[in-house]
Amino acid sequence: MFPSLVDFKPYVVTGLALGGVYSLSGVGIVVLYRATGVLNLAFGAIGAMGALITWTLIHHTSVPGWLSYLACVVFGGLVTFAYGAIFGPPLARRDPLVKAVATLGLALILLGLMSYLWPPFGRTQLLPSSRPEYSYHIGWAGIDITLTQIVGLAFGVLVTVGVTAFLRLTMLGTAMRALADDREITSTLGVPVRRVETVAWLGSGLIAGAAGLLLSDLVGLDPVNLTFLIISSLAAALIARLRSLVATLFAGLAVGLCTALLTPITAWPSETNYQFSLSSYRGGAPFVIAIVTLLFLARRRVVSVSRTDR
Amino acid sequence: MRLRRAAFALAVPVAILAAALLAGSAFSSSRPAVVGSGKASAAKSVCGLGTGKKATGSPIKLGAIATKQPGTDFTDIPNMAAAYFKCVNANGGIYGHPISYSIQTEQTNPAQEAALARKLVQTQKVVGLVGNTSIIECTINHKYYEQKHIFVIASGIAPECYGHDTNISSVNMGPRYSSDGAVQYVIRAGVNKIVFDQSNVPGTDYIFAGPSAVAKAANVPIQGFTDTVPIQDANSVALKLTQAAGPNGGVVLNFTPDQALLILQAAQKQGLVNKVKAWGCSTPCNSDFVAAALGTSWDGIFGVNAELNLPSANGPDSALYRQLAKTATLAFGLGSFSQMGFVEARIATSALLNMKPPYSLVRVNQAFAGVRNFRTDILCSPWYFGKVPVHIANNVDRTVTPDHGKMVVKEPCFKISAADPDIAAARVVEKKNPQLTTGKAYPVKGGK
Repeated sequence: MFPSLVDFKPYVVTGLALGGVYSLSGVGIVVLYRATGVLNLAFGAIGAMGALITWTLIHHTSVPGWLSYLACVVFGGLVTFAYGAIFGPPLARRDPLVKAVATLGLALILLGLMSYLWPPFGRTQLLPSSRPEYSYHIGWAGIDITLTQIVGLAFGVLVTVGVTAFLRLTMLGTAMRALADDREITSTLGVPVRRVETVAWLGSGLIAGAAGLLLSDLVGLDPVNLTFLIISSLAAALIARLRSLVATLFAGLAVGLCTALLTPITAWPSETNYQFSLSSYRGGAPFVIAIVTLLFLARRRVVSVSRTDR
Repeated sequence: MRLRRAAFALAVPVAILAAALLAGSAFSSSRPAVVGSGKASAAKSVCGLGTGKKATGSPIKLGAIATKQPGTDFTDIPNMAAAYFKCVNANGGIYGHPISYSIQTEQTNPAQEAALARKLVQTQKVVGLVGNTSIIECTINHKYYEQKHIFVIASGIAPECYGHDTNISSVNMGPRYSSDGAVQYVIRAGVNKIVFDQSNVPGTDYIFAGPSAVAKAANVPIQGFTDTVPIQDANSVALKLTQAAGPNGGVVLNFTPDQALLILQAAQKQGLVNKVKAWGCSTPCNSDFVAAALGTSWDGIFGVNAELNLPSANGPDSALYRQLAKTATLAFGLGSFSQMGFVEARIATSALLNMKPPYSLVRVNQAFAGVRNFRTDILCSPWYFGKVPVHIANNVDRTVTPDHGKMVVKEPCFKISAADPDIAAARVVEKKNPQLTTGKAYPVKGGK
C-alpha cells in the first residue's frame, strides 16, 4: 500500500531533524579526515559514552544540569584529543585504512567499557529542550516538534557554516586545508603540523560530544545504537567524498529524509494479512544512497575517497 | 579498707552480671532470624523447610542456561533462582541436602547451546534444569532433553518452550500469548483497527499468529509491522503506527522495555498519544522504569499485559520474593524476570521436597514432571507441568497501567483468548486433565 502524498508530510519534519544530526556528525568526521587523514570510526562511541556520563551525573549526582550536559561535550573533546595526541603521530605515516582500523579499536574499547560501567538497563535522556513547553505544532505536517529537533537541524547547519568559515578565514583553518592537500610540503613550510592536527582532533571530539548528546535524546540512550549510528553519518561523509562540508550537510539531510520517507511505504500480502513494511529495510538506505552516488560519480571518474600518503 | 573490700565484693558480681547481660544481648543480636525461616502460613512464605539450619549433606546439583549478550541479558532469572536456592540451603535444604546450582551463559550460538546442555548433564552431572531462559535454547536442545527424559522448568520465548510435544514447561507466557493479552485489552477499549509492531527478529510470524487470530475472532482488522532494533528513528515509527491505526484504532507494541519506551516517548513528543484510541504492550513494558520514564500523560491510557503479578503486590510469595531480591545479583532489579526465577526455583524446591531420595536424574525429572496445581500469588492461575502435549500453564493474566511513575493493576486476572489456537489447545489439555489445575494444591513444603 503506497501512502497518499499527505502522509509523507510529517516524515519530512522528522527526517530533516534526524538528518541534521547526521550532518553534524558527518561534518565532524570530514573535518578530522581532511586535517589528519583519519576516518574516525569511534565518533559514535565517544558521543555515546559522553551521553552516558551526562545521564549518570544527572540521575546519580547533584551536579547542575548545564554542567552535566557540558560534561558530554568536554568528554568528547578530551578523549578524541588524547587519542590524537597519543596515537596520531605514530600512525601519521600509515595507510588511511590502518588509521581507520585503529579508531575502530578505540570504538570497541569504549563499547566494552560502556557495557561494563553501564550494564544493560533501559535509560532515557530527555533534554530540557524536549519538555512539552518547548513543543511546537507544525500545522501543515499535523505533528508537534520539540526544540531539540530544531536544535539538531540548526546545529548541523551552524557547525557546517562555522567550520567552513573557519577553514577559509583563519590561519589555522588554512593550515588544516594545506595539511589536507600535502602533509610533507605543509610541514616544510613551517606549519606546526602536530599542533594543527591536535586542534582538529579536539574540534572533532567536541562535535562528537555535542552530536552524542543530541542523539541520546533524538534516537535513544543505547550505547550500541549510538556507536553504530556512525554508519549513517559515514554514508553522508562518503557521499561528500570526505571533502566538502556543505556537501556533507546536504548528504546528511538527504539520508535522514530518505530514511524517514521510506517508513510509511507498505505492502499487504493477502494470505496472512501480515504486513511487510519497506520501513523494515530502511536501515540500509544510507548505504544504498552512498553506493548509488559513488557509482554515479565514478562514472564521471571524479570519485576519490582515499588520501594518498605523500 | 573494709569499705574497699566490700565495694570490690559488690563490684565483682555486678560486673559479671553486666558482662553476662552484654554477652547475651550480643549473642542474640548476632543471630537474627534466618531469612525465609519460620512456619509457613497463608500470610507467610518460607524457603523450603524453613528450619533456619544450614544444610550440610551431599549436594543436589541443578543447572540453568541463560542468554547473556550485548542487548539481551536474561541472567536475572537464574540469578534470582540462585538466591532462592541459597535461602533454601540456609533453611535445611532438601532434608539436609543443599542445592548446588550451576548457571551457564550463552550468546545465541546453537553449537554453544547444545554443548552447554551436555556439559551440565553429562559432565557436571546435574539432575535437573531450572531457570533456562534463552532466545533459541528450547529450539536447539529440546530433542536432547526428550532423549534424556529431562523435564525443564523454564522461562520461554520460542514455541518449543511451551510444550508442543516437548519436555519443557515455562512459568511465563512469552511474547506471543502476552501480545494476545495486550490485543484483547485494546479490543475491550473499543478500537476499530489494531496495529501490531514488533522487533524484526526470527519468530515474528509465530508471534503475530496469536494476535492475528485474537483480532480476527473479534472482527477487528489487524495490521502487523516489524521494525529493526535498536530503533534509530522512533519519531517516524510512532508516526507510522498512529497513521496506520487511525483515530479509532489501537497500537500494540511487542518490544523490550527500552525500545518500546523510545516509540512511546516519540509519540508523546510529537503529540500523537491521543491520535489513536488505545495503546497496549506485551509484558516487557510492565516495569516501573517504563512507568517512571513515561510521566503521567500515559496514566490509565497505556495498557500493559502482565504475565506475573506486580512486584509490589501483597501476598506471601511476593513478600518473600522482594526480601530475597535484595540478596540477588540483578541487572534489572524487581520485575518480571526475577519474579520468573523466584517462581521456578520455588516450584523445583517443592518438587524436590515432595519426592523420596535418591535424587537421581530420572527421579528428579519425574518429580518435576509431576508438579500440578502449584499455587502462588505471583501467578493468576495454578501452574503445572504434567506429561501433556502443550505446556502453557500461564494463560490467565492481568493488565497493568502506569500511575504516577508506578505500574498499577488496570484489569484483574482474565483468560487469554482461546481464539489463539495454542491457547485453545492448552484449555483442552486442562479440561481433559482437571487434576492439573484443580483439587488439592501442590504442597510447597514437602509431603514426607
